[in-house]
Amino acid sequence: MRVFLRWLLPWGALGLWSGMLLADQDYRRDADSGAETWETRAHGVTLRLTQILPDQARAFYVARGFRAEDAEPYALACVFMTVLRNDAAPAALGFRLADWRVRVNGEERLLTSVDDWMSQWQRRGLAESARIAFRWAQFPPEQEYERGEWNQGMLATGLPAGSRFDLVARWQVAEKTYEGVLSDVRCPSH
Amino acid sequence: MCVVRPIEAVAILWAALCLAVPAKAEDLPPLTHALTAIGQPYAAPPLKLPDLDGQVHDLAGQKGRPVVVNFWATWCPPCRREMPSLERLRRQLSDKGLAMVAVDVGEDADTVFSFTGQLEPAPGFPLLLDRDGAAMQRWKVKGLPTTFVVDAQGRVVYRAVGGREFDHEDIVRQIQGLLP
Repeated sequence: MRVFLRWLLPWGALGLWSGMLLADQDYRRDADSGAETWETRAHGVTLRLTQILPDQARAFYVARGFRAEDAEPYALACVFMTVLRNDAAPAALGFRLADWRVRVNGEERLLTSVDDWMSQWQRRGLAESARIAFRWAQFPPEQEYERGEWNQGMLATGLPAGSRFDLVARWQVAEKTYEGVLSDVRCPSH
Repeated sequence: MCVVRPIEAVAILWAALCLAVPAKAEDLPPLTHALTAIGQPYAAPPLKLPDLDGQVHDLAGQKGRPVVVNFWATWCPPCRREMPSLERLRRQLSDKGLAMVAVDVGEDADTVFSFTGQLEPAPGFPLLLDRDGAAMQRWKVKGLPTTFVVDAQGRVVYRAVGGREFDHEDIVRQIQGLLP
């Protein structure tokens, strides 16, 4: 047993060190808009969240045919411009937003799905052109990236303004699941 | 009825500009410099759409020459960034047989025209309108921008998910390999 523990110790230390590396996270704040950005790199993949301020979301969707009152629930849903990029994963990665979580006070929650938003827009009677713009402006609900491939799109966490949370992003490479975590991200304030 | 007061209109315009145009180049995700080869090339789905003047273009009519098919929208930041490089690629290779179309999703001709009028260089290739997104569904596009390269036999041989610098030498070399 002691031999096993002696063998395990360096691996544990290496694991801890890797964990610290994985926790590598950049932060910056745009001086003009005040929007904050969090970015991490894990397992050859870059994950970035940039706040979309409520006024920006309102402006974007009103300009694409949303009535002001229809844009409001989304503008207040803690929205981020999200980038996921396969820079150097060992192979193609695949992900589903249904596997991603927001962690608030240790409790994990699902993201509001694009389908749920689309159902809401249908119920509200939004024009087809507005619904199409919304659908394609969102971060893809599922996607596959070969090395060098990436997307950028909007992602709503559904949390109240000013909330702090961790985003747990998950993806698969060759049937193995990997995780990237952005810690202590802040929802934009009103 | 929703009434927008002047002060709100100014705020909306400001916010729309902030969202559409990130302030600093270093904040932008880098554009990729290569296309992804398709392991098992497949027949290109049908693509028959009107351009900004209402003239219908059919991909089937391009058989015999490679075609770049770019799916985009004016509000998509990486689409906006890569568009001039598509035109530079077209200028390099069109006289060697390369064809190119860009398919806008969900927008009208006026919106597309007013955006492309600001581009330098302005696109010299057809800008097609996929008003209901049906073509994107047929091509199984999941996010914008997505670009496909169809070879002279009508097969999809390369794709690019996310923004590209299309006139980068590595991409030019990949496409030159398809030309006669």
